[in-house]
This record gives sequence, C-alpha cells and structure tokens, in this order.
Amino acid sequence: MNKTLLVSGCWFLVVGALLGQDARQIVAESQKRGQSRSQQYEGTLEVIGAGNKISLKRWMFERIGSYGASKAILRFTAPAEVKGVALLIVNHQDRASDQWMWTPALERDRRIALQDRSTRFFGTDFSFEDLEERDVNQFDYKFEGEETFDGQPCWKIESKPKESKSSQYTSSLMMIRKDNYVVIQIENFAKDKMVRRIHYSDVQQQDGIWVGRTMEVLDANRGSRTVLKLEKLQYNVPMKEESFTLEALRRG
Amino acid sequence: MILLRLISWPYIRKHALRWLLTIAGIVLGVAVFVGMHTANQSVLYAFRQTVDRIAGSTQLQISSGETGFDENVLDRVQGVREVRIAVPVIEAVVNTGLPGQGNLLILGVDMTGDRGLRQYDLESGDEAVIDDPLVFLAQPDSLIITDTFAKENKLGIGGKVPMSTMEGEKLFTVRGIMKSSGLASAFGGNLAIMDIYAAQKVFGRGRRFDRIDLAVEEGARVEDVKSKLEALLGPGFQVESPSARGQQFESISRIYALTANITSAFALFIGMFIIYNTFQIAVTQRRTEIGILRALGATRRQVRTIFLGESVVAGLLGSSLGLLLGIAIARGMTGYIGALLGEVFGIAQKAEEISTNPALMLFAVVLGVITSVIAAYIPARNAARVDPVQALQKGRYQQMSAGENRVRRITALAVTILAAACLLLSRYRLLAYAGDALAVLAVLLLTPTLAQWVARALRPLLRWLRPVEGTLAADSLLQAPRRTSGAVAALMLSLALVVALGGLTRASYDSIFKWLGVALNPDLFISPSQSLTARSFRFPGSMADQLRAIPGIGEVQSVRDARIQINGAPVIFVAADVRALVNRATLPPTAGDPTKMYRLTGEGKGILASDNFALLHGYKLGDVLDIPSPQGVLRMPIVGIVVDYSDQQGSILMDRSVYMRYWNDDTVNIFRVYLARGATEAEVKRRILDRFGTERRLFVLTNRDVRQYVVRLTDQWFGITYVQIAVAVLVALLGIVNTLIVSITDRRRELGVLQAVGGLRNQIRGTIWLEALTIGAVGLILGLAFGALQLYYSLRITGEDLAGMRLDYEYPYQICLVLVPVILAVAFVSAIGPAESAVRGSLVEALEYE
Repeated sequence: MNKTLLVSGCWFLVVGALLGQDARQIVAESQKRGQSRSQQYEGTLEVIGAGNKISLKRWMFERIGSYGASKAILRFTAPAEVKGVALLIVNHQDRASDQWMWTPALERDRRIALQDRSTRFFGTDFSFEDLEERDVNQFDYKFEGEETFDGQPCWKIESKPKESKSSQYTSSLMMIRKDNYVVIQIENFAKDKMVRRIHYSDVQQQDGIWVGRTMEVLDANRGSRTVLKLEKLQYNVPMKEESFTLEALRRG
Repeated sequence: MILLRLISWPYIRKHALRWLLTIAGIVLGVAVFVGMHTANQSVLYAFRQTVDRIAGSTQLQISSGETGFDENVLDRVQGVREVRIAVPVIEAVVNTGLPGQGNLLILGVDMTGDRGLRQYDLESGDEAVIDDPLVFLAQPDSLIITDTFAKENKLGIGGKVPMSTMEGEKLFTVRGIMKSSGLASAFGGNLAIMDIYAAQKVFGRGRRFDRIDLAVEEGARVEDVKSKLEALLGPGFQVESPSARGQQFESISRIYALTANITSAFALFIGMFIIYNTFQIAVTQRRTEIGILRALGATRRQVRTIFLGESVVAGLLGSSLGLLLGIAIARGMTGYIGALLGEVFGIAQKAEEISTNPALMLFAVVLGVITSVIAAYIPARNAARVDPVQALQKGRYQQMSAGENRVRRITALAVTILAAACLLLSRYRLLAYAGDALAVLAVLLLTPTLAQWVARALRPLLRWLRPVEGTLAADSLLQAPRRTSGAVAALMLSLALVVALGGLTRASYDSIFKWLGVALNPDLFISPSQSLTARSFRFPGSMADQLRAIPGIGEVQSVRDARIQINGAPVIFVAADVRALVNRATLPPTAGDPTKMYRLTGEGKGILASDNFALLHGYKLGDVLDIPSPQGVLRMPIVGIVVDYSDQQGSILMDRSVYMRYWNDDTVNIFRVYLARGATEAEVKRRILDRFGTERRLFVLTNRDVRQYVVRLTDQWFGITYVQIAVAVLVALLGIVNTLIVSITDRRRELGVLQAVGGLRNQIRGTIWLEALTIGAVGLILGLAFGALQLYYSLRITGEDLAGMRLDYEYPYQICLVLVPVILAVAFVSAIGPAESAVRGSLVEALEYE
C-alpha cells in the first residue's frame, strides 16, 4: 500500500513536471495545427442584448499570415448603415496589435488606441483585444488538468500574459480538445473574476484545418451574448500583402 | 436695546418716509453690488458647471490655447505609461436655427474610448447607438442630444436638427437622447454629442483636435503625470485640471468684474452721504431730546450708541432689501451679461439661472451695515457732544461754527496739497490712486464751504427771479449748510461719476472709431460665424484662391486669430500676410519705426504688439516675447507697438507664414476682401454667396456691417455702465427729496409763521421749489467741475490698469448739456411732494411745532 502510494506520488510529481512543460507545447501544437497562409470567411454576427433584443451584422473577413505575424481586414457588409466600415488589424509577435478603422462616409481612417482595446467591439460582446490573434509566445502557461467538455476529452490550460503583452485580462482558462487540438472555450478573467467567455462550437475540418465555425461570446458583466458564425470559410486562398495596408483600407 | 425701543423707535415711526428714503441709498448701493456680482458670478458658475459636467472623470486637459493641435499629439499622450485613458475633444457652439433655441454646445468625441471618461446615460433610443459606436461613427450626421433639448424641440429618435456647417446647411439625425443629468445638464441642457471626426469636418478643423481629456493610471500622481506631459509636449501646450478653464475665463473677464466693482462701490459711497445727511439732520432735530437725556444722566457713550444703533438697524434693513433687489437685478441681467461676455470674449457658456453666493450676500450685508455706521459716526459723535444747555437754543446747531469751518478748510487745504503732490508724482501707479482718493476727500471736506459760496453767488439770481421766494430759498441753504451738504455731496459725486464715465465712454468711442477707420477698411469681410469673436468655425486656407477667382474681387487677405497664453496672460494673436496688409492698412504706431516694423514682421523676424497689450503687461519695444506654440517656444522681438483694439486684453500681430509654420495650421477665421475697381459690394457679395452659399457656412459682411457690429458690442459693453450711472444719479436724487422733506419738517414753524403773516401758499411752494432747484444747481456746478478732475483719473486708470487704452482728454460737454435740464427738472419734481405737504398742513400745528 505504502509502495503503491509512493509510486503514485512519484508518478504525479513526474507527470506534473512534464505537464507543466506540456501546457505550452499543447498550445503551440494547437497554434501550429491552425496555421494557414490565409483565411477568408463571411461572418454573421448576432448580438443578443440583455433584454433579448437581437441585432444583426455581417462582415467579410480576410487574413494573411498566421498568428503573431498576421494581418487582417474586416469589412462590414450589413446592415446598410454600417456598410463599408472596415477594420485593419496588424498583429505583432512582441506587442499588442495595431488597429485602424475606416469610415467611408467621412472618408477617413482612425487609429484604435491601445487604451481602447478593452472596450466593446462596436456593440458586440467582443472587445477589440479579442480580435487579436493569441500568439503562443506572448503568454505563460500552466496545466490545470483534463476534463470532458462538450462531450470531448479536453486539456484545461491557464494562460497569463507576459509583461510585454498589454492585456485587459489577468488570466485565461482554455479548453483544448485532445483529439484535434482545437480550442473550444476560453474564459477570460480580470482580477479573478470571469468577465468574458468565448465558446467555440460546430467544430469542422476545412481545407485540412479544424475550426469551430460558431463562436459565442458571453459578457458576464452585461449578461449579453454575441454569436459569430463563419460562413464560406476558406483557407490558403491567394492574397496579396498590399491588400492589408492603410491605403488598401482606404480604397475599400 | 431699551433705549432704541423707547427713544429711537417713536422718532423713526414719526419720520417713516424719511427713513425709507434714507435706507433707499443703502438699498440701491447693496442692490447694485449684489446684482452685478451675482450676475457676474452666475455667468462664471455656469461656465464652470459646463466645464465640470463635460469633464466627467477627466483629471487633466491638454490644450494649446484656442489654436488646437495636430492629431498625432494624441498618440504621444496615449503612449505615456501613466496615462490610463486619453481622448480627443472638439468643442464648439453653433446656432441651431431652431426657433427660440439659440446656441447648442457640440461636443465632438471619439466614442470608441470616450465612455471611459464620460457617462452617456440614455433616456431613450437605440441602445446600440451609444454602445455601438459603429452605427454612430458610420453615419457622420449622428447626434446625441439631451432630454431637455429633445423636449423643448419636440424631437425624438430619428428627428432632424438643422445646423449650418462648413459644408453648408445640413440636417443632423438624432440617434440618442441622454438623460438630463450629469453630462447632459451641461450648458443648460443645450448639449449635443457628435463623432469627433465628423466634428472636424463640420467645424473646419482639418486634422486637428481642440484638446485632449485624460485620466491617469491608478496609483499615479496627477501632478507627476502633469509634469511628465509638460516635459513631453513642450511649452506650447497647457496641461491643466479642468477647473483651470474657469480661472482662465475669470482672468479674461477680469475687466468686467473690476468695472462692476468700481461702479457698485461708488453707488454705495454715494448712499453713504444720504445716510450721513439724514443722521446729521436727525441729531439737529433731536437736540432737545438729547439734551433731556443727557440732563437725566445718560452718558455721551449711551447717546452715541443710540444713533449708531439706529444706523445698524438702517444698515441691516437697507442691506436686506438691497439683497432682494440685487437678486432680482441679477435675474434680469445674468442672461444679458452672459451673452455680452460670450460675444466680447468669444467664450461659450450659457447662464440662465442665477447662482447666489452666501459669502457674497453676507459680505454685502456687512458692507451695507458698515457703510451705514461709518456714515452715521460723525453725526452720532456730534450727538454725544451736545451740551444740554445749548440743546434748548433753537437753530444753533444748524449753523456751522466758524471754528469748525476753519478746521475743515485747513484739513481740506492740506489734503488738496497732498492730492496735488500725488498728481505730480502720478507716474507711480499707487500715488495716482492715492491722488484720486485724496482729491475726493478734499472736495468732500470743502463741500459745505463750496456749497455756501455757490449758494451765495446764486442768491442775487434767485432774488431777481422771485424776490421773496428766491431770497428765502437761498437763505435757507446759507443758514443751514449741514441740512444740505450731504445731499449736495451725493449729487456732486454722482454727477462727477457721470462726467467721468461719459468722458471715458466718449473717448473710448472716438479711439475705437479712429481704429475702425484705419484697421477695418476692407470692403467685405467673410466670416464663418455671424459673431466675429466666435472662433468655433474655420475656413480652409485653400478657399482664398477660390475667392480670388470670383470676378470683382481685387484682393483677399487671410486672417487667423486665436487666444493663447503668454506668460500666463491671455492674448489674442492675429496672423495675417503682413506685407499685403501694410499696403492697405497701417495701424498707428506708438513706438517703433513704421516702415521697419512692418518689414521685419512681414519677414517673420518680429511681431507687432498692440498698445493695450504693452501697457497692461509692461512690454516695451525690443522686448522678446516667448510665444508658446505646438512646435515649441517661438521667441520673437516686439518690433513695433501699434494701436489695435482687436481684444480688450491686447493682441499681437504676426505674419501668417510664421503661424502656419509653428502651428501647422492653414485655417482662416476671416477673409478681408477688397473689391476690384468698378465692382460693387452688393454684386460681389451675391457672387460669393452664389459660389459658396450651398457648400460652405459663411457670412459676407460689408464694412458697414462690421462697424455696426463693433459699435453694437461697444454699446452693449457701456450699456451696463449707463445703468450704474442711472443708479448713482437716482441715489443722489433721493438725497434731494430727503433733504427737502427734512427742510420742510425742520422749518415747519418758520413756514407756518410765513403763512400766518400773510404769505401765500404759492409763495411757500415757490420757496421750496426754488430751494430744490438751488440744491440741484449747486450740485450741478460742483459735480460738473469735480467731474473734470475725475475724468482725468478715470482715463489714467482705464489706460494703465483696465483696458490699456490711450484715451484723449475731452470734456463731455454734450452730456453736461443734457444733465443740466434733467437734474433741474428732477430736482423740481422731487420738490412737488414736500411743497404740497408744507402748504396743506395745519397752520396751528405748524405754529406749535417744537
């Protein structure tokens, strides 16, 4: 009995140490599997307010590059009053992204300040920061165990932003599916309080990449939800670097 | 207290009318003081309240005078680690065109981050409009208005608000309505929120912001962040708490507050003489009573206390009524003063409600009581000195003893010598003020003597006019100088004030007209606002070439002006193409070589300072000014000092190229347009409106329009002074009525005897009328003469300390010609009541009087 306990204890110590290292490897693997040269989709946004009031928006999303070095442009296509408004996101490996917004009616762009990244992304429950790609190198990780989530065995991993990464969140708790390394939930915390939960569902393989095609964001403070559905999703579509510049943003 | 109840109260009750007239002096003095200050404070309070409510949780504000600054400054500020949030702001006041609504304060903000500083509590409307800046930002016609404004204009979500923008007349759509509290209650609820980038277009700001509002990170000290930002941005930027804007407003409107102070103090000062007069007469009338009291063992101190106690009661009552009247005055004037200060200084505020300051109220009451006590002190002291035996000898105390007169005259002579000495040394500012005060004192000390001299000189005339009545009237004044000296002094001071202010006003108008003739000589002025002092809207610099292409236009000069701070002093700079300007208009120089100064300024090697700026702030030719600009400190020598009244605080003229280089701004406030030979104003004005009318907000003003505008503004400014003059004259006239009532009561027996020996009622009436006219005439002669001296001091004080204007001495004869019949007529009217009272009383009672 004592021997069994001793062996078990040693095993846990060894596994614990190994898992501490593995947490980062799991996230890195997840990132690696999701990598593509480019991504394109038509997104449908459904914002369900606290009073169950629903508003709909549609956008066209294009991304070139992957993770820390990617650039993305998001153009609203509906409703009519926001059509043409666009957002350019330039992600960096060592710092927060740069973001610019284009307003066609005014014919001018504006920079989204770093301080504003924690604010809601145009009435949705996403914040501007949530639109950034999370690069594995910008966080420290801790393995929190395994559990079954949405009927799938998952790894539970806590991430904390490194000093260089400016973030509104103090930590995040990720659920990563063991079978395909797809992140199916991120709970974001600010000072130990869960403020935003992003849940990925409808996980499918597209162009060899596993992806959750439905994203539901819950704003815990407001009690409102936003559902983003990825339609006409494609990976590795040919795209040009020059389509992801401020000039391109202004051209529309 | 018992003495007051037993001795004073019956006397006051018996002479209630006179007492009311006496305290009227205090009432008016306190009312003017409280009214003017409350109105002024209410305007200031309204401005501060607007600033506070708009500031929200803003801890620091970054500005660069009124010029604004490039957008890239925001990135630099946001890059400071201790800055938690920094948001850009554009603030402008526009006329909505909605009937009865007047001005609307537009706050241009970036809704993406602005909610971190300000709370936009929605009353109704699509929640997404506020929460989703996308909808708000995607449609530049979006406007969030306040519940108050929505109700007043019956506007709902989707409602349209017309506004004249730099792109012509536009309809804005209400996309949100804020609850009427906090932010929404700023500017009296006439507030609207707009996207900052839309505001840039609407107000012609280019890619510039007016200011940045910021909050610091938790744990960071505001003072430290302020210092860090000042070091980062340089001296061209002001990093201050929101409350500092209130101080700037106070500093800019300092002249107004000072004017209000001087004139209201003068009104109170004049009221003091009426109280003095009444108490002096009361002492004379009650000498028997005082004698009996003294005989019964009352001490001198007790007698003095009775009169001082009465003065405290009069002061309290007068001040209390003055407070009520002052608040009523403030209610009537606050809107007017707010509009005037807004127009003159170009600063937005909306003062509708009055703000009463308990400390000011208390101060006014104390001032009223102290004035009353000071005025009553000499009569009370005289009462205490009454000899019980002499008290029974009628008439003795009405005449001033030769000894007393001598002391007064010697003192007056000494004071006059001192005043003259101060006048000679008046280059020292303090001595100039002392000289004025001593001159007033000398004249006051001499008033009884001077009044007697004038009355004696008038006696033959009166006798010639009406042998019996005239002689009686003149003798009444000659025999009882104490009875009239207070009223004469009050009238003299009032009229001296009228002459001084009248002369000052005339001289100011003359100077302004001269300046208008030289400086404002273009045929047309094109402004983005109806008010030439409003600087909310600006034209792009490129518009000058478009204007030049219009047939009939010979020359276009672009002018940009804005208020900045130089060494903490607010000053307007005027940036124009000096080489073009000098060909058309040369401002009269007061220092420097005219040719050289314009050449150097045109070459960007110096600036021209206005004479009032130099006088007010002590600058001389050759002094180097450190002018803060967004590009750093611009060090420029003063190469010339010229007469320019563009602003009360002073102005500096620099070349437009210098401004564009250092402020990186090519916008224009006003285009000065000279017509080509043969072109007519009306035709060119029509062409300009045809060319730009639909695509730009612009007002084409003819030279005549601008002159009328300046004159109207000057009229409004002096309008308040006229009201104060009227109050001062009213207080003095109350003094005449008071004196006459006392005179009749005092001479009741004498008048009764006259009637008993056959004097006709008309003769009695005539005597009193002539007495009143004589008091008026004596006051007029002394007042108009003393006014000549006061005018000199007023011009000095205005020139050196208030407006920095060099004004020519010109005695206002026209005003005097008006004053003579007016004062005599009012004196006559004020005598009608007392005269009727004298002839309609019981003859038996009159003979039994005393």
